[in-house]
Amino acid sequence: MSAPPAASAGEATTGTAVVEDLRYVGLATRAVSFVVDAALITLVNILVGIGAALILAVLHVPSQLKTILAVLAAVAYIVGSILYFVIFWCTTGQTPGARMLQIRVVTGDGARVKPRWAVVRGVGVVLAALPLFAGFVPILFDGRRRAFQDWLAHTAVVEAPGPSIAEVSRAKKRAIREADRQPPPAMPE
Amino acid sequence: MSDDEKANSRRGVLRPIAGLGVRTATATLRPFAGVVEAAAGAGLSLERRAVDRVLESTELERVVVEAINSPHVQSAVRRALESDGAARLIDSLFDSGLIDRFLERLLASDSLWNMIDEIAGSPAVTAAISQQGLGFADEIGDQVRSRSRKADDWVERAARRLIGRHPRMLPAEPDAST
Repeated sequence: MSAPPAASAGEATTGTAVVEDLRYVGLATRAVSFVVDAALITLVNILVGIGAALILAVLHVPSQLKTILAVLAAVAYIVGSILYFVIFWCTTGQTPGARMLQIRVVTGDGARVKPRWAVVRGVGVVLAALPLFAGFVPILFDGRRRAFQDWLAHTAVVEAPGPSIAEVSRAKKRAIREADRQPPPAMPE
Repeated sequence: MSDDEKANSRRGVLRPIAGLGVRTATATLRPFAGVVEAAAGAGLSLERRAVDRVLESTELERVVVEAINSPHVQSAVRRALESDGAARLIDSLFDSGLIDRFLERLLASDSLWNMIDEIAGSPAVTAAISQQGLGFADEIGDQVRSRSRKADDWVERAARRLIGRHPRMLPAEPDAST
């Protein structure tokens, strides 16, 4: 059976050719992936916040300094969150949430995203979310299911099927067992 | 002649006669005793061989199986289990404190806890538990993935219908045979 084009044939894309063998991911999957990542970031931030609050409770800190620390914490929260996404996008292309949903951020031709474009995309996500998440609406209509940040950074979100964590774990154990069964190499005389 | 002398002379006459009688009786009965002994031996051997043959034959198995399958036996066992006597037997077993003592001794024994520690710490058990957990997480992940892909298409169709655009031509699912 011949597969139809991965994206919609005849859709008005933004001038770039549609890559045939990539399967683009829609709004719901990307939203679930983002929620998983946001939950992880929030969990880490809560733990760090509790730790910082305990330290501040022990130390005698003036109230003005507390205000400055609160502002610094907020900035760290925003920068840390953006860095979380940027680092994952430009290394593996997959945040933990994206890995769970088996999706990946790639460039238009399916290659790995470069760090500066990952930063642009991170800023693009913030800009897309500011007007009541209107920047994500184009996903529903674009031929390659691209949002504002994808258009800005020339990226796309595609499916990346791979082995699950359980399968990887099983494969590792199998490899270890097989390595144990191999006889040791004979010593040269 | 005194009385003692008379008695002694009488014993002297009777003793050989009595000895003769005993020897005669022994000689007479010896063949009969041999026959009885031989018959008893033969009987024992026959009985042993009969038991061996019964045990070796499939007849015993058949009898046991038929007895177990017999509706009468089953009904009798059922009646016995449902009877008040069985309930009283169980009650008396528990009332006797035997089971409590058994459990107390079992829980107090170090061997039990050593065995539990060994089992809990064994690589096979920990690997099985972790595999079970990973398998469960995988299953949830699969469910979320498949539902989110369906939701992608559904949301997109609804949005396109809302603004009167043609639905997207969706790519075909990869062929499972390839």
